[in-house]
Amino acid sequence: MTPYEGLPAKSPAKFPVSGSRKAQILDPSRLAPEDAFYAQSPPRGRRAPSPLGLGLGVGGNGTPKAKGRAGEARRKRTKDRGRSSSRRRKGAWKKLLWVKQSYPDNYTDEYTFLDHLQRNPRLQPYEFWRLVADSTVIVQHVCSVIIFVCCFTGIFQERVSPVTVVGWSSSGTVLGWILWDFWVGQEERAQKMVEEAEASSIEGEDGSSASSATSASVPMREKDAVGIPYANGNAAASSGGPGISPGISLAVGHPTGAPTFASYSHLPPYGDQTSSLSPRTQQRIATIKSAILIYCALLGLSPILKSLTKSTTSDSIWAISAWLMGINVAFFDYGGGGGANSDVTRYRFPASLSTNAALMASTVLASRLSSTTHVFSLTLFSIEVFGLFPVFRRHLRHVSWRANTVLSFLLVVAAGGAIGVTVSGGRWTAAIVGSVLGSMLIVLAMGICSWWLIGLQKYKNEIHGPWDPARPIIRRRWD
Amino acid sequence: MTYNIAMVCDFFFPQPGGVESHIYQLSTKLIDRGHKVIVITHAYEGRTGVRYLTNGLKVYHVPFFVLYRETTFPTVFSFFPIFRNIIIRESVEIVHGHASLSSFCHEAILHARTMGLRTVFTDHSLFGFADAASILTNKLLKFTLSDVDHVICVSHTCKENTVLRASLDPLMVSVIPNAVVAENFRPLAHQEHVTSPVDGRPLHHSLRPHDTITIVVISRLFYNKGTDLLIAAIPRICAAHPYVRFIIAGSGPKAIDVEQMLERNVLQDRVDMLGPVRHEEVRDVMVRGHIYLHPSLTEAFGTVIVEAASCGLYVVCTRVGGIPEVLPPHMTTFAKPEEDDLVAATSKAIAALRQGRLETGRFHEQVRTMYSWTDVAERTERVYDGISGVLSEEEFYGSSTGEGWSAARGRAGVQSFALIDRLKRYYGCGIWAGKLFCLCVVIDYLIFVFLELWAPRDRIDAVRDWPRKPPLRESSSATNAAIGLGRKRSARYRDQGWEG
Repeated sequence: MTPYEGLPAKSPAKFPVSGSRKAQILDPSRLAPEDAFYAQSPPRGRRAPSPLGLGLGVGGNGTPKAKGRAGEARRKRTKDRGRSSSRRRKGAWKKLLWVKQSYPDNYTDEYTFLDHLQRNPRLQPYEFWRLVADSTVIVQHVCSVIIFVCCFTGIFQERVSPVTVVGWSSSGTVLGWILWDFWVGQEERAQKMVEEAEASSIEGEDGSSASSATSASVPMREKDAVGIPYANGNAAASSGGPGISPGISLAVGHPTGAPTFASYSHLPPYGDQTSSLSPRTQQRIATIKSAILIYCALLGLSPILKSLTKSTTSDSIWAISAWLMGINVAFFDYGGGGGANSDVTRYRFPASLSTNAALMASTVLASRLSSTTHVFSLTLFSIEVFGLFPVFRRHLRHVSWRANTVLSFLLVVAAGGAIGVTVSGGRWTAAIVGSVLGSMLIVLAMGICSWWLIGLQKYKNEIHGPWDPARPIIRRRWD
Repeated sequence: MTYNIAMVCDFFFPQPGGVESHIYQLSTKLIDRGHKVIVITHAYEGRTGVRYLTNGLKVYHVPFFVLYRETTFPTVFSFFPIFRNIIIRESVEIVHGHASLSSFCHEAILHARTMGLRTVFTDHSLFGFADAASILTNKLLKFTLSDVDHVICVSHTCKENTVLRASLDPLMVSVIPNAVVAENFRPLAHQEHVTSPVDGRPLHHSLRPHDTITIVVISRLFYNKGTDLLIAAIPRICAAHPYVRFIIAGSGPKAIDVEQMLERNVLQDRVDMLGPVRHEEVRDVMVRGHIYLHPSLTEAFGTVIVEAASCGLYVVCTRVGGIPEVLPPHMTTFAKPEEDDLVAATSKAIAALRQGRLETGRFHEQVRTMYSWTDVAERTERVYDGISGVLSEEEFYGSSTGEGWSAARGRAGVQSFALIDRLKRYYGCGIWAGKLFCLCVVIDYLIFVFLELWAPRDRIDAVRDWPRKPPLRESSSATNAAIGLGRKRSARYRDQGWEG
């Protein structure tokens, strides 16, 4: 049974000719793409008179019977045509090529033509408050960039001690890490429970589907059930071999801002190790180790960083850093892991581009500072702001919406205040004015942008149909 | 009535491919029917100037800058002088362009309309609407097809696609499928003798449970041919069915992935990778198998599955594009483009084959009656009749012609060549694009006027025609006889090969 054979029989139900629709008809025989767009009902509902004149004489709104009669007439008319050899004298036109049909080649069957056309199939109407809530991600990042720039200005103008800045931010980072660690533990436990529940449900599901499947496919299904844990074990063994590797991968994973979190908690390799310490503790030690490593490396590198772009003029430095900051904001991975789209965006714009741009900007800026301590502080600060803080923010968003909102608010206020202070040259009243103004402005912008986006959505017009390349669904087990 | 037809396309012999062989076969069959056909393509390496192929098919290889994968650089006007010269020399009446990625064809249609000729366009492929390349191609297609007399598509899905892409009147679009030269795709000869002594039915596929079943895959190994699905499915099929072998023919960027899969799963002894095969050898590869697996992700027609069925193979394919229209259900199993479903469908096919439920021995005869180039040529000829006014408008388009059809969307056969009417049609293409297109058309017209002054028609020599065959027009009663005759003739000419 081909998919098209059943269709003409179904069509009368889908064939409403309402007055209001008819009024829209400008040109009855015209079939432009817009026909498919306007109505929720199938497009052929709108062009009642057939382009071929099938339905014209026989009571326009062609019930199948009328169509049958019209087809009869049509066939009489075209009988003298040579090709109507037609072993099958069935009246109905079929959307098939291998059947010799008694219709001309340019016959357009109004019942099945563009039947499989879908318009905006995956359309999700935006909701205002959800959009506003989601836009906090962008606001948070922009605010942290602003704060960084303001801190740099403060350090550059010798108004803030770099050690204060880096001290505060480091203590914040440590606090954040402790929180994060706590969440990791929580999630791991939840994951374990879910896995256990899933394992039991998979067994049940597998049994039922195997019984319903054909006899041929049964052995394969059984093999699947055996194969999955085997493959997993393999991966675990290969990635969790030497004791240091998880720690290093963790340290690398952090500054990229990539969603290390999900993959990190997924892998059970740490369980394989025959150490006296629990895997979580080992993990922590590894993190601390890598943190110390980065710290020491920075200490050693900062004299070099200081003189690296010293010979470049300040104008170029400002321009370069502005561009790099722009790149950082533009290419930052706002997707936040989870959801089908994030994979695609992650491949296309690697999150490391954004982080690298920011770190490069801070390196370039560091050459304008006066001492090695300044350089060290600024670079460390930038690692914390652009490498670690996004990871924390992303996870905070998953854990609690309220905390996320509070953080956004705090960031907005801080950014506003920082701008105020920087612009006014150190007056605290300006900070208050700045934060109030900034938060008002940002709330307004968030609202307007969300509203605008909702307004723009009505122009969305995606056409899908059988001509689109299919998306293969493959279980990535053989990689 | 016979016509002088020019087929214009970037893709033609010596490059192998579906479009190329379509043009060649169609031209040959049209010549058999008494028409004069020339082919205009760009120069290939070692092939410039005028060539004759079998059956008096004249090919003009026009030197042109090739941009990418044998597609010429789209300079909107530069083809006009030589095109006009060829058209006048050969006194062409109908310009028939092929393939929507061929800029040669688009230019030719534009210039032909400027010169006041009838034009037909054949679309061989499907395009989406989402990615940038498709959007650009679609705009270009809309430009060209704003002023074309008729469009031919190879499947109904393709027709829907083209109608949407170029905003065409659906009645201006005919569906004429591709065909196969069935004689080139015969099943193995000895099978014809192995028939049951009891009821005379073929026995050859009553496989015993431990006989090896061979699954053939012939495709270029590209992403859109579904090679990823293939890579995922082969190990599972091999694991589930110990007496199954694979033959994979074709090359492409995904070949390395296939090889990796073989190595990872140690399947080298069960999967044969032949590498690229020539089109003449495809049959010899196909007859080595029992099942043809076609995991493509998009396909306008899928000639290869018809060829496989003609060779007596049972076809397992994905339900994408125009594929569901091509073969009757008893020759095919459809799968969704998913790994699990493809494996299940293949397993079902293997089981059916083992139980002897498939009468693959009769596939060849059935396919032969379904698809033949003679039939294609006959149907194309009707399109020519329709656009040149031999068939009345009513007969060609049905009785409700014209109503509500403005000049901007005029219909073929009644479409006016007047510049202002043409401009109206182009102007509707878009806010900016419409104006740009109009500009192009006006310039094209000015070039035409200039050429008429600079190289007047009477200075261009007309060529002497290759001796024409007597027109072979069907009378309503003798259609089958005519098809039979055509087939015999085609067999004779085919044996002489491509090149004369």
